[in-house]
Amino acid sequence: MTDTTRIRSVGAYTPALRIEAEAFADAWGQFEPPGIESKAVPDADEDALTMAAEAGRRALDAAEIDGNAIDWLGFATTTPPLAEAELTPRLASMLGVSERSRLRSFTASTRAGTQALLAAPAVETALVVAADCPRGAPDETREHAAGAGGAAFVLGPDGSAPITEHAEHAEPYPGTRFRPTGSERIEGIDVGTYERHAFTETISTAAASVETDGATAAAVQAPDGKRPYRAASALGVPSDAIRACATVHELGDTGAASVPLSLARALAGDHETVLAASFGSGAGADVLRIEVEDAVVSDCAFDGQRTLTYPAYLRRRGEITSPGVDTGAAYVSVPSWHRSLPQRHRLVAGQCPDCGALTFPPEGACSGCGALVSYEQIELWTTGTVETVTSIDRGGAPPEFAGQQARSGAFGVAIVRLERDGNTISLPGQLTDEAAVGETVVPVIRHVYTQEGVPRYGVKFVPRSAHR
Amino acid sequence: MSEAYVVGAGQSDFGSFPDESYRSLFTTAYGNALDSVPSGLSTEEIDEAYIGTLGVGGRQLGLSGPAVTEHVGLDGVPCTRVENACAAGGYAVRQAVMAVRSGMADVVLAGGFEVMTDVSGESVRYWLGVSGETEWERLSGTTFAGVYAQMARAHMEAYDTTAEQLSRVAVKNHDNGAKNPHAHLQFACSLEDARTAPTVADPLTLYHCCPTTDGAACALVVSEDVVDEYTDDPIRIAGVGAASDAVGLFQRETYTGIPASRRAATRAYETAGIGPDDVDFAEVHDCFAIAELLACEDLGFCERGESGPFVESGATALDGELPINTSGGLKSKGHPIGATGTGQVVEAFEQLSDRAGDRQVHEPRYGLTHNVGGSGGAAVVHVFEREDRGDTTEVER
Repeated sequence: MTDTTRIRSVGAYTPALRIEAEAFADAWGQFEPPGIESKAVPDADEDALTMAAEAGRRALDAAEIDGNAIDWLGFATTTPPLAEAELTPRLASMLGVSERSRLRSFTASTRAGTQALLAAPAVETALVVAADCPRGAPDETREHAAGAGGAAFVLGPDGSAPITEHAEHAEPYPGTRFRPTGSERIEGIDVGTYERHAFTETISTAAASVETDGATAAAVQAPDGKRPYRAASALGVPSDAIRACATVHELGDTGAASVPLSLARALAGDHETVLAASFGSGAGADVLRIEVEDAVVSDCAFDGQRTLTYPAYLRRRGEITSPGVDTGAAYVSVPSWHRSLPQRHRLVAGQCPDCGALTFPPEGACSGCGALVSYEQIELWTTGTVETVTSIDRGGAPPEFAGQQARSGAFGVAIVRLERDGNTISLPGQLTDEAAVGETVVPVIRHVYTQEGVPRYGVKFVPRSAHR
Repeated sequence: MSEAYVVGAGQSDFGSFPDESYRSLFTTAYGNALDSVPSGLSTEEIDEAYIGTLGVGGRQLGLSGPAVTEHVGLDGVPCTRVENACAAGGYAVRQAVMAVRSGMADVVLAGGFEVMTDVSGESVRYWLGVSGETEWERLSGTTFAGVYAQMARAHMEAYDTTAEQLSRVAVKNHDNGAKNPHAHLQFACSLEDARTAPTVADPLTLYHCCPTTDGAACALVVSEDVVDEYTDDPIRIAGVGAASDAVGLFQRETYTGIPASRRAATRAYETAGIGPDDVDFAEVHDCFAIAELLACEDLGFCERGESGPFVESGATALDGELPINTSGGLKSKGHPIGATGTGQVVEAFEQLSDRAGDRQVHEPRYGLTHNVGGSGGAAVVHVFEREDRGDTTEVER
């Protein structure tokens, strides 16, 4: 069945930070969104693109393939760091997806994740990544519900979980959840019955064209912890099937990644028949049926690691901090930054053809023999060792990192040694958590800083003890 | 090749001066340098000028050398701005020596200036950061203090160096600076002060870091043909060594020493024909407490890894066997970046001409200055000799 898209592996990433519903209740007197016990909170240097890179790496690792095996990459989010700009090429660079691949972006709807899944070609190797971190006004229920996370799927003819059926339905429902142009905050006019109607009508109409019998797990769009269960009868599944793979109760509303994250959880579990039902306000719905023929390999980080207080949450969100001061900073021009993307995104070092020593970045005289050589490119995306480290405390950050520090607090900066066949390179890198000299660290993609309005991404390091 | 001599050196007060400009500070330093020449020296006699400055605040990035020399009436004198971050001043002195030794000039002004306290903290952090490696080191989020903190952490891990040993550098240099009327921070600091100060970049506390400072300093370097016109007690620039290295710490062969300092020192000792044991006092680059410990090792005053116990022993105190940073150093005297290297020469000149007052070392013959740019991307070492306090070099000449 070459026209059936088949899922080969799944990867999921959620930020390490969590906040409990009670923390909101303490601050506001109540926590409005139903059915959410905690939610995931992106750190100050995380966004949809960094979470997509994390989830994408995990899906590739689970499938045991490199990015260059990918023919088609789809990236779905409602919260792109830039409203206009192709971000999928950057994601491709971060994942080592080759430039010959076809790249697609899906946005402007929480249904974007399933749209990407359905758009992927069946006969080639595809990677679909959905990551999202919606926001609302601090005093609004949508903000209280807003979570974060990303899920990724490697698809290919040899995948063990085919999408056997799918259908969609869309019809106009103005006034349901929306985000105005230029705003970072989702809004709604809160006409409850109308919104619920839009949700159930579109899903049930789409579901009518899909065989839904026998599903033990149903990944359903979850703007809060109650809404997905309203689709139970439309999908013909018991509530337990929705609960079996729900992520909203611990992660909150993950927007376009909501259904993909639940689908990832279902596929990482041992379900044989899985339904997925996404909803995008405005409104449209996709319903998919997936038959798991053989276990789908997975690498998922669903668990949180640290719980925030509400004030700490407001800091992380940047609600009570100032952005960094623009002093011109340590100016690295955008073209200069562009030239270093293989290093920023994939730790590409240079190997001397004469003496074999590694040099990073791969330019200038060889660190081993001092000769000006043409380096062979060697990707060193691997664990490293902390050689030395300091902590940059509040007030001491360079101006371009002042905003991040105000939000996340003191951060560690290490020199990390990476090794390949007895040759080593050292590079400076920011730490996402404390690590001592000698500790092993794992590279991750994070937002480094923004200059001239251009967000710049690069490698930071997570101590292996904190890596999930 | 002519020998080079320093016949005069003077500085402005180092500190924070809202009522002064970089030009007024330079004018003061220049005047004090002229006044310090035993037999007098006037503006018309100067052939060449080298001026060190980083240009903190960006006040006059282009032509910042002529901007101060024309202000003191040196119109027409060729002036070159020297920029090697915190080693700009030391390299200006080196250029002056080269000009004299080449025979192109007989009287050369080596000056430096910086004004750092009239801009916001954010701006200062920017300007301090531009002397590190920008594309990788800086964008890992580290500061200048952070890079030295990484060196401190590496030294502590390798040699069990302690935070208290770092603090002892601060205590000693504040003791010396309290005796220096030109110093920025003329107060004593206790071990407890240093220990309990806020952390700037772990393990460095505020007292392990030098202040940002306004100031200027000048030295007058002359050839052997004319030295007798200016002094009866010539101070020869006996040794000159300099080296550069990778700008980023991560690109260097070691984090527990500064290779450029080692190379510069080796060359300076070779050209002076002496060894570290012959040095009677030294002004070393202690922008952070760890930097003085590293300097003790890199300059050969103690074995590698032994600088903590060496400082703890009192050897480097004013009354110790090798007084280090009798001026108070960058820590207490202050660190107006472009003026620091020439400021070190002011202390060497005062010590060797017995003008150091309460800080005077007993009849020194050899003094050494050590000036580092960034975290070690450049270093320059000079050995000064009071010629009438020994005869070996006379024979060599």
